[in-house]
Amino acid sequence: MPQPIVETRELTKYYGEVKAVDHLNLTVYEGELFGFLGPNGSGKTTTLLMLMGLTVPTSGTATVAGYDIVKESREIRRVAGLLPEGAGYYEDLTARQNMDYIGQLNGIPKPERERRIKELLEAVGLERWADTKVEKFSRGMKQRLGIAEVLIKRPKIAFFDEPTIGLDPQGVKEIRDIILRLNREEGLTVFYSSHLLYEVQQTCRRVGFIRDGRLIATDTIENLSKKVAGVEGKTLEFELTEVTPELVAEIKAIDGVASVEQEGLRLYVHMERDRSREVSETITKHSSVILLMRPREYSLEDIFLKYYEEA
Amino acid sequence: MGVTVVFRKELADHLGSRRYLVLFALILLLSTMSAYQGVLYIRDRPQAGFMAIFWGAQFGFSFTYLMVFFGPIIGLALGFDAVNKERTSGSLSVLLSQPIYRDAVINGKFLAGVTALSLLGVSTITIMSSLATTLLGFGPGAEDLLRIILIASLTILYLAFWLGLGLLFSTVTKKTSTSILMSIATWLLCSIMISIIAALVANMVAPIPMPSGPGANMTRLFESPEYRELIQRRFTIQSNIQRISPAYLYNEAVQAIMGRAGGSFFIGPGGGSPFRSLDISQALTMSWPQITAIAVGLVACFAASYILFLRLEIRPGG
Repeated sequence: MPQPIVETRELTKYYGEVKAVDHLNLTVYEGELFGFLGPNGSGKTTTLLMLMGLTVPTSGTATVAGYDIVKESREIRRVAGLLPEGAGYYEDLTARQNMDYIGQLNGIPKPERERRIKELLEAVGLERWADTKVEKFSRGMKQRLGIAEVLIKRPKIAFFDEPTIGLDPQGVKEIRDIILRLNREEGLTVFYSSHLLYEVQQTCRRVGFIRDGRLIATDTIENLSKKVAGVEGKTLEFELTEVTPELVAEIKAIDGVASVEQEGLRLYVHMERDRSREVSETITKHSSVILLMRPREYSLEDIFLKYYEEA
Repeated sequence: MGVTVVFRKELADHLGSRRYLVLFALILLLSTMSAYQGVLYIRDRPQAGFMAIFWGAQFGFSFTYLMVFFGPIIGLALGFDAVNKERTSGSLSVLLSQPIYRDAVINGKFLAGVTALSLLGVSTITIMSSLATTLLGFGPGAEDLLRIILIASLTILYLAFWLGLGLLFSTVTKKTSTSILMSIATWLLCSIMISIIAALVANMVAPIPMPSGPGANMTRLFESPEYRELIQRRFTIQSNIQRISPAYLYNEAVQAIMGRAGGSFFIGPGGGSPFRSLDISQALTMSWPQITAIAVGLVACFAASYILFLRLEIRPGG
């Protein structure tokens, strides 16, 4: 049974009259790669800032690694790392000096610090640029430096806020690979906040949807997909050599078929129960040939939009 | 723990920054020049005493004028972007995600600035004194040495005030462009504008009557006791207005410590020297209100930035 590492209870934050986070109840378990998904301005960043003790909640409570986010925020910052959105570095300093500063602030003794810096710069592929000033770094390199800085304290949990924003595909892949490796090989709990559906689908198993500061759903991607599909019934897509009105009428008449849509030689058959066998038999009977037959899949985007529409 | 780390990093930043080095070089150059002129002054008037190296410059700036004029810009330059630069660049949220108390950041920054300023002030005064000692062939006596130490301490306090004000500007504003404009405006007001404003006000409140018509006797007017009284009144009005500026307060206090009463802006009528010689305890008693005012200003600026920084809310998007 995995232990919860982040637990929020009715966590709420107002900026003046504006509700940024609204009675958020969320649990993240040790060792998981949790995707925190929501559109811009939905309260993701505010949630992370509250969890790290950088801003104080208006009401509600939360714990990270067992520490209270208001009373013990310094203890949290000892065991949890945050890569904030738009994180910045000291441009006049080299990558090594930047990391050394963060290492010192975490009270890591010098020999250990130097060892970890070397190790981590290698892990994020920056060893060749260790003594280059950060002002010369590309966005992707800075972001990798940011990840290395998060890891220097050997955190139990790492919060990444939009870690791939503004990066080119190569940069995105590098960041994603690093994060996946950390989770799988080092067992690091990762809290991955993003508005990019594809990103989260590629990396995270369990996701939480947040909108207008409210948590709409939390589950594994497969379960969420099933739920959406369950509500919708099953849809089969066919491509045929010939479509006659009689054929369409006969498919519609099959018990369990809700409706049929036709687009030229393509048919979309919506079913309440699985009737794929009966449908294909009917088609063959009408001496038409099936060129393609596939279930319509729900992409994360469909799920995402579906949940948002319902909210 | 956190405060020492921040302090060391910020101090290294200052000492290696072009901004600090340029200001340091400028002050060092101008003050050695003024010390040299002071030496010439002392050679002409041996009774002037060693302290004249700080005020005896005939051409250009004496050390006190240097500090009145450049002091604000040095202090403000080291403080005006201390917080908001890190806010804009995004390094502040990274910094605050580390296991430190928030006040370690502002304390470390302030202490590093004060240290850098002390280094500047003390080394300038030391270099001036050693240069003068070498050229004159005699050094300051025990009492003069004490005066020099007092001036150095007061200079540090004065520069720290401007640093504190700069730090406050950098905490209340989000953009460095705003805080730099605020700094420049304050500098112009306190170093230059204030004396013009004071003169204008004095002229409005106590205008000098211009005798006109035939038979007007200027000489008789200037010698009349009413005229002397009027000039004295104008001077009082002017200095009271200028006391708004910490630069003026600093000047008054330093003049007193150097043993010169009355302030250097006032040249008495009839060409007589208005200066009395003051011993150290008299000088301190006289300049105590000014010193206290600067210290209170410093504490107020730092306390305000400290509170604002601790309450600063890290928001999405900075």
